[in-house]
This record gives sequence, C-alpha cells and structure tokens, in this order.
Amino acid sequence: MYKWIKIVRTEQIINRYSFNKDNLTIGRKPENDVQIDNLAVSGHHARVDRTGNDYILTDLQSTNGTFVNHKQIVSHTLKHGDNIQIGKHVLIFLASEKQEAGAEEPVKERDLDKTMILDTAKQRELIAKQAKPGTAVPAASEKIGVLSALGGSDLGEIELTKKLTRIGKADTSEIRLSGMMMGATAATISKRPSGYTIAFTGGRTKIKVNGNVIHDSVPLKDFDTIEIGSHKFQFYQKETK
Amino acid sequence: METALARSAGLTDVGLKRDGNEDAFSIDESLNLYIVADGMGGHLAGEVASRTAVDLINKSYRKWKGSETPEEEIFGCPDVSLSRNGNYILGGIQFANKVIHEMATHRKEYKGMGTTIAVLAFIPGLIISANAGDSPIYMIRNGRIEKISKDHNFVAEQVEMGLMTEEEAAESPMKHVLTKNLGSYEDLDPDIFEIVPANNDRFVLCSDGLTDLVTDDEILQMVEDEQEPEVLCRNFIDIALKRGGHDNTTVVTVSLSGTRKPKAGPIKKMGALLGDISSVILKK
Repeated sequence: MYKWIKIVRTEQIINRYSFNKDNLTIGRKPENDVQIDNLAVSGHHARVDRTGNDYILTDLQSTNGTFVNHKQIVSHTLKHGDNIQIGKHVLIFLASEKQEAGAEEPVKERDLDKTMILDTAKQRELIAKQAKPGTAVPAASEKIGVLSALGGSDLGEIELTKKLTRIGKADTSEIRLSGMMMGATAATISKRPSGYTIAFTGGRTKIKVNGNVIHDSVPLKDFDTIEIGSHKFQFYQKETK
Repeated sequence: METALARSAGLTDVGLKRDGNEDAFSIDESLNLYIVADGMGGHLAGEVASRTAVDLINKSYRKWKGSETPEEEIFGCPDVSLSRNGNYILGGIQFANKVIHEMATHRKEYKGMGTTIAVLAFIPGLIISANAGDSPIYMIRNGRIEKISKDHNFVAEQVEMGLMTEEEAAESPMKHVLTKNLGSYEDLDPDIFEIVPANNDRFVLCSDGLTDLVTDDEILQMVEDEQEPEVLCRNFIDIALKRGGHDNTTVVTVSLSGTRKPKAGPIKKMGALLGDISSVILKK
C-alpha cells in the first residue's frame, strides 16, 4: 500500500509527495524532500520515518512547532487523514488504496461521494480562491470556561469542566450556592457546538447576564457578568493544555 | 417515570441517483434513543457499516443503562466531563468504531468502509447529543434552530480556523471530506454535548442527503409548520427528492411534547430503585 503526503499551501499550490523511500524530510532548505519556502518554517522542520507499517512524524525542534489535528506534537504516528500544520501550510497524510485509485478524478465525477481526496483541478482553484495570503494558521487549542466570583466571595475561580454545569442549592449541583431564594438548580451552563450557553431553569432565582434578566438561554461571551440571586461572577475562557 | 414524553418518526429514501441505501437509523422510544448513520464504502460495505454502528450503539446503551453499569466499566470511559449516560453513549460509539475498524481492516470486502453517526438520547433532565462525521442534529426551541452536533469535515475545520467563510464552505466540494468517522481509525473521539431540556423542544437528525439540499432556516420553517413527526419526515424526504435526491436521505424527527417537571412527591416511592435517575430529578 502506498502512503502519501499531500501538501496544501495557502498560496494556492498543491503538491503530492508519495512515499518511495524510508523517510521524508520537511523544511525550508532546498535539500528537504518537501521544501516549504516560508520563514515560519525552520530549515529542517520535521521528518517522517517509515518503521514497519507505521509512519512516524517527528518535529525537529523547530522554532514554530509542528501540529497534528490542531495539537502540537513532538513525535506522532500518522493515521490516514491526519492534518499536519507547519507554519501556515497544511499537509494531509493519506494512506489508502482507494484514494490512490481515484485520486486524479474530479470530485464531481465521483458523484459527490464522500472522498478524502484533496488534489483535483477544481479543488486547487477553490483553495486558491479561498486562500488569504499572510493568514497564519492559528494553533487551534481547547478552551475551557471559567466563572470568576466577584464581590468578596470566597468561591474564587471555578473551571467549567463538565459539558453541563448545574448551579444551585442542591447537593448534586456542580456549583453549590447558598441563599434564601436560591433554587435547587437555579441555572445551568452547557458547552455547546457554538460555545458556552447559560440557561434559566424556571425557578424563583433571578438570573442576569450583563444586568439583563434572562428567561431562557443566552450564549456567553468572554467577560460577561452573571448574577445568580445575590451571587455575581465574571465568565471568561482560558486555554487548556 | 420519564420526564421526556417523546413522539418520534424516522424515514429513509434511496434518492434518485444511488442504487443502494447506505444510510441506517433507529428509533427507540422506550430507551429514548435516536440514531442516524450514513455509511460509505463500496458494494454493500457502507450499508454494513451504518447498520452495525446503529445496532451496536443501541444494544450497548440498552444493556448499560438497564444494569446501571458504573462508568469505569464502560469501554474506553469514563470521560469525567460527561454524565453517566453520556459515558454510555461515548462507550457505545467507541465500541462500534472499534468493531467496524476491525471488520474494515481484516475483511477484504469491507476494506475502506466507514460511517457517520448522530445519536440523540433523553434521560430525565438531560438531552445528550453525540456525533462523528457530518450527519447533523438540530434542536428547535423557542422559534430558533441550533445545531447541537459538530460537523467533522475539512471545510468545517477551515471555517473554525478562520481560513474559510461559512459561504465558501457551503459551496466547497470538499465539504464531504470527513475528518472523523466510525471505521477509518482505530480510535475515535466523538463530540458529545449535554443540554437541559425545555418544554416542547423538537429535534431533527438527518444524513447530509437532506442538508446538502435544504438550509437550516428551511428546516426550522418546516418543523414549525408541521406538528406530526411522520408527516414532517415525509415532507423532508419529498423536498430532497424534488431538489434532485442526489444521495440517500434519512430523517428522524423527535418532539418532546410537554416535558413533565418531576415533582418532589413520587421520589420517595422510587427510593433507591432509581438511584441514578432520581439524583437527576432531585436537582430540579
């Protein structure tokens, strides 16, 4: 089975490198197998070595790092479809015979089937059109929401580690709050595809976001203030490792 | 006692261009579990992948939920950010992925097969939405539509990284390049979300045969216009066929008709029998 590395450059060039030897070097200098002429790329940035059936990507202590599927790696065993980011370039590792056979057919002729192919004339054109020269690929990282208690509370910083955080008086609440008028579950914060959302659960406790009483749910933005009864918090998101 | 009284329906159609139907779905109102899968792979492999995924996730969820299995004993779990039932769903998806991957690796006729998955489950006080691939799950609440699943494809990632706009993504032929599915890789990290239900929430799970041809706003409008789950499914299939039906199309619609607010009364009676469930109810 052939293994391929495909390179998608935001400057609109796409290239494909097949594995016909035991290793492949990636870097800015011309002696690399995959040369990426960009200052964000180190002279000798990374390499891929074949060991048995595995292909191992190693970052050669590059200045700006090597990312696989948005996570920074030192060494990584490549899987089919892995998205390798070096500087603002994206390289895709492909490993199946199916891809090999159909690689040069335009997507349209493939009946819009689900493919994992990236280099066709049409796609090149599209990528060229979509490319925003000079845009660096941000190293996407996981973010976690934090509630920071305001106004002399001893609750401090509370990380929202659950997909769903219940806030209220009940013992089973992830965040327990006291107060005469506090509901068993006064509010919930859920992490949704669009981000964190706070919801009013219908009790007697008033929920305010930036001073406005909420009746169903609102998405939370960094530095929103949240009032739950007499408790006050500020919401923000921080990077996690 | 279930808080959610769900009414649901599902329908699948081969479409006008394909020979076989590689989609699969399941509806289980007793479990409150709803699944849509969109298979890929030559010959019959796509159908095998989607059917295997739906069956395995359904069976494992039933088994673990029925015996209240501790999270620690579940395949590949626990994920501490999730509820116990969320872990059952996660475990079921990871288990199905493992099985399909094994089949695809070791049997020639299944080489390269895979499937997307969209799973929606309700337990008292909680909606669990899980997915891998690009079969979406929508929630319609208070006149608004919200996608409560994450699209795992190349263009969606480009949008997330700010390299492509939503409009460009909709036009891109690369929107079918999946970055996650069941079958291609040994390990899978599906996206799972947990949300508190509200009265009259409605849900649509579908394969991209529908969303390629119908916009989110149109889905919202169609849901608002039709209360009967069966008729709504038929309407969705009809519009996909009218617009060319280039792919298999599958739709599952669920309506939470009048979420019952659990009162303090019955809890005493249930006692320890419903350990897990009552702890959720008590939070109300």
